[in-house]
Order: sequence, then C-alpha cells, then structure tokens
Amino acid sequence: MLQLFLIAFRNLGTHRKRTLLLGGAIAGVTALLVILMGLSTGMKESMLRSATTLSTGHVNVAGFYKLTAGQAAPIVTGYPAILEQIRKDVPELDFAVQRGRGWLKLVSESASIQVGAGGIDVKSEPGLQKVLQIRAGSLDGLAEPNTVLLFEKQAKKLNVQVGESVTLAAQTMRGTSNTLDARVVAIAADMGMLSDFGIFVPSDTLRSLYQLKGDTAGALLLYLKDIRQVPVVQARLRQTLADAGHVVMDHDPRAFFMKFETVNREAWTGQRLDITNWEDEISFITWTLTALNSLTGVLIFVLMVIIGVGIMNTLWIAIRERTREIGTLRAIGMQRTRVLLMFVFEALMLGLLGTLAGATLGLVVCLSINALAVHVPEVVGVFIMSDTLNLAVHPASVVGAMAFITACTTAISLIPSFLAARLKPVTAMHHIG
Amino acid sequence: MRLKNMLSAAAVALALLSAPAALALEPAEQVKLLATIDDRQRNGGDYKAMVYLEQKEKGKADLVYELVVYRRDADDKLMMLFTKPKTEAGKGYLRLDKNLWNYDPNVGRWERRTERERIAGTDSRRADFDESRLAEEYDPSYEGEAKLGKYTAHVLSLKVKPGVDVAYPVVKLWVDKASGNILKQEEYALSGRKMRTALYPRWKKTYSESKKDDVWIPEEIRLYDEVEKGNSTTILVKTVDLRPLEANLFTKAWLESKSR
Repeated sequence: MLQLFLIAFRNLGTHRKRTLLLGGAIAGVTALLVILMGLSTGMKESMLRSATTLSTGHVNVAGFYKLTAGQAAPIVTGYPAILEQIRKDVPELDFAVQRGRGWLKLVSESASIQVGAGGIDVKSEPGLQKVLQIRAGSLDGLAEPNTVLLFEKQAKKLNVQVGESVTLAAQTMRGTSNTLDARVVAIAADMGMLSDFGIFVPSDTLRSLYQLKGDTAGALLLYLKDIRQVPVVQARLRQTLADAGHVVMDHDPRAFFMKFETVNREAWTGQRLDITNWEDEISFITWTLTALNSLTGVLIFVLMVIIGVGIMNTLWIAIRERTREIGTLRAIGMQRTRVLLMFVFEALMLGLLGTLAGATLGLVVCLSINALAVHVPEVVGVFIMSDTLNLAVHPASVVGAMAFITACTTAISLIPSFLAARLKPVTAMHHIG
Repeated sequence: MRLKNMLSAAAVALALLSAPAALALEPAEQVKLLATIDDRQRNGGDYKAMVYLEQKEKGKADLVYELVVYRRDADDKLMMLFTKPKTEAGKGYLRLDKNLWNYDPNVGRWERRTERERIAGTDSRRADFDESRLAEEYDPSYEGEAKLGKYTAHVLSLKVKPGVDVAYPVVKLWVDKASGNILKQEEYALSGRKMRTALYPRWKKTYSESKKDDVWIPEEIRLYDEVEKGNSTTILVKTVDLRPLEANLFTKAWLESKSR
C-alpha cells in the first residue's frame, strides 16, 4: 500500500506543472470556502453578540398589554413576580434583566429620527458593559435619570455630542403625546443594523415618558449558561407560566414589533405574555446569513464542478500517457484493485495537499483581516452587523472543508481510475501513445 | 538694595493680584445681582401682553406670529394664545405645575412638551416669555467686567442647579453695570457647545399696581440660533397690561374655547 502512495506521490512530482495547476485550483477553492465560512460564522457570531446585547436575551418573556382591543403596548405588567417565578423555574439561567421597550422620536436642535428605545438599569446589565464600545462619555452615566446613550451614526445625524440634550417624544398608552428632555451621556460605536434603530435610556426615564408604573417592563431578557438549552427552557416556561395563571400567546417566530398588526387585530384586552428566543427576535435580519450561506453553496458547487472536470480530464490524460505502463504493471501481476487504488491515491494526495495549502492560505487571509480590523462600507456594515470585517475560523470547520473537498476530488477520480483498472494488459502494452 | 528690590516686586505683584479680586463680585453679591434682575422684572400680579414673533430661517420666507401672553406669576402659570396668522390662530401653550402643554385646535389634542420646546417652531423657548427666575434656577460665578458696545457689563456664568429643568444648563450673562438690565445672554449645552445667543436691545419700565413699583420688561429680544447658523427670531413685546386677569383663565378649557 505504501508503495502505491509512493508511486502516486512520485507521479505527481513528475508532472509538476499539471499538479501545480490542479492543486492550485483545489487550494483556491478551499481557501475561498474557508474564507466564506469564516465570514458566515463571523456574521452569525456578531449577530448573536449584537442581538443578545442590544435587543434580546437568549429567551425572552415579553408580551402585550391592551387597554382596548385595537391598542397594544409592548408591556409586561407586574414583572417582579414573573421574574421571581422564572428564577425558580429556570435553573439553567445565568442572569436575567428587565428592559423597557419603546418607539419614539428623537429630536435635536437640527434634526430628528425615529428610534426604538431600550429602557435599562445599567448596573444590572453586565452584557452591555462588555459589548458596547463607548466612543465618548460613559455608560455609567445612564445611572442618572433623563439620560440617553446614542450610537455614532445617530449622534452624527442629530449633530449632538456628549453633554447635549435631545428631546424624546412618544405617545402614552392613553394616547397623549408626551415629551422628555434627555442628556446624551454616551456615544457608542455602531453595531450594524440593530444599532441603527436603537438607543438606550434608563428604565425609569422610559417609564416616565410613557407614564407607566414602576413594576412594568417591556421584556424580561433571560441569558442562559448554555445557549443550546434555549428550546428546552422556552418550552418549559410556556408551561410553567401558563400553569401560574398567565395567558401565554401562541409561539410566533417574529420580532415583537412585527406582531403589532396581528395583536391589534385580535379582540382580547389585558395582559398576554409572549415567549420568544433570540433567533425569533432577529428573524428579520437573519435572511442576510441565509443569503450568504446560499451564495457560498452555489459558488462552491460551481467551482467544484470545474475542478471535477479538471481532475477527470487530467486523470484521463495521465491514463492515456501511462497506458503502456499500466499494461506492463498488469502483465507482471498487479491486481486491478491496486491499479485503481494507484490512480485514486494520486487524486487523494492531490486533494490533501491542495486543500492543506488552501486551508493554510484561507486561515492566513482570515487572521490577517481580523488583525487589520478592516472597516467595511456602511451598507455592508448594516448587513454583517459590525463596522469591521470579522472572520471567525473554527478548526472543526477548516478540517471539514478540507475533508469535503478531498472527498469530492477522490470521488471524481474513481471513474477514470476504474477505466484504467479495466484495461487488458495486452491491449495496454500495444497502445501507442 | 537687593532686598528692597524684592520687596518692591512683591508689593507690585500683590497689587496686581488683588486688583481683579477687588473688581470681582463676591458670591453673595452675584446671587444678589441675579435676584435683582429677577425682581426688576417681577410683577407679582397678573400680566398680559401682545407679542409678535418674527422667525427668519435660512432659505425660507420670513414668518410673523401674533400671540397674547398671559401670566400669573404668583402661581407660576403661563399661557400663550396664537391669534395670527390664520393657520396658527387658536393654537396655544399652557404651563401648569411645571408641565408645559401645547394645544392644536386642528387635531383637538393636548401634548406635553419640554423646556426645550421651540415655541411655534421658532428659536424662542418658554422661558423667554415667562417670569425671570435666574436666581432660583442657576448658580452664578463671576467672570469679570466687559465692554459691550458703549455699555460696561458684569459678565456672569450661570450653571443650572441640580434637579432644575431648564432649556439650557449653562448661560453666560452680560448685565449692564449702570442699569442692571440684561444686555446679552449666551446659552450653552453641558458639552460646552454654544446653542443660542439672545440680545436685549430695548427695555421698558412700567408701573405695577400689584407690585407698587416699576416693572422692567424686555420690549425686544433677538434670538440667534448658533447650531443652525443663519436662523433667528425676534420677540417684540407690545401693549403690556398688568391689571388682574379672569380667575379661570389658566385652564385647558379656556384655551380650547378660544379656538371654537
């Protein structure tokens, strides 16, 4: 067997140009696959990090309160009691926070924008401290009432700096238009699409704007020790909260703000709870990830077809060139299976060496891009949820990509190898090539 | 000889250092100055004035509004009722218990507004029409004397007191040394950015029966937007009446009735 490997290796060395060309193509495709997978994983990780910091927990216990049938507000009333029950029912819980939810107009001296507001108790938000990159001011400033954290793009649009005031205008549940002045205490680095439409204010400020009581929250964001427990926890909470007498809405895997139309159409009034997970809350942007994965799939498929044709063609040429050699080997007693293996090993080695070089190249490219913190155009940043390109490369996915491409090249080589093995020794020896 | 020189130098230095201190107002005097400014403008009773607001905005036609301002300073009540142009007639603001309400008869709704509210979209704020409460709202610090045209003025820097809601947290004030009237006011955000400049070119003295003394009223205030350069507003205060007003005037119902 070792001899066959040796023959295959030497044969690759003999036809150096051909090997380099084909190996280069395999390396290129592998590198592309590693980079695209890195981009996709990086996007997913950025998305998870951004989403679970800015707008959602791993699991969310939120809901709607309706004063009248057609007027729903994203409110959970009496949240401390619900939170206490959740702590009892969910031992997988790492920590939980309450967030206010609002949609309001932000007015500065020279401009105004519509944004979603998250009401937070900054001292109980360890996630925010870790993820938000504060460009100016301090996140701790949000401990004071009537303050606001903006993201860079918003601050630029509104033409405000830390220390300046903006007016928050929104409609209360009773339909009164209310306003409140808030001082900008921090400006954070943009975090893609989610930060475009979101600001943070202290919970009490948001309650004051909407004229809500102190025991109301927009949502309870639950962060688990292990994110894989999300479906289990979600299912359990649906059961336990319903058993405790709360009306729990049917699962609707959409972000809360996309449900207003449906909820407003329904005839009920009062409080209903809605239990969602992080994927539901950012479902409106995960299509970018699906699109990238689909594009990667199509691209890799096309390139693999091209490489497949190349390998098949090369092996055809090799077999034609070595027909007399095959005949001689067969005449001196080499089995058909060994002839087959000889050619398969050649493709296998080409695949292994090519993918190894490609994976190394891809890895170097990914690490260099990460190290350089390459800034992407604003439009791209919106979709990849970060203003810098972040390629997340995991060893398992690199090995997976190498194995996949090597397996493909080896499988493709089986057809010409079979044909080589089927050659009759006499015919092969008489071949003039 | 050397010691003598040193002593002379020390004496000169001491004199130079003590000179601004002698000119500067003591903190108590600064507060007193603010209280005097407030008191000179305080009526104590009711107040009614016809006011014209002229708004100049870059690239737009000038707008002029006519409104009637009603005040009951004893209860901190303020009402502004727009009378002209026709499209604005019936709109108004009502300040009750530190809440500023805006009424639009076209939609028949009241909206709660803040101190930063641009009155009718101009560069004016609620405080420009209301009773002066500088001593109550700000802590002063003395910046020295300065010449403003032919006037010599005390320059005070004011910082809002904790927990007080004002449109601008930092104000720089030029007060005429001779008359005690405000000549100029620069308003800043906490970031230090200049937001607005106000000039007070004309003051009018009127005798108030309720105060049993003269009341100083700024007849004209020129407001310059420092963020949107080129935008400005002029407030002209005409026909001031200090006689008592109807008891039930400062109500939402009264303002609503004016637009029917």
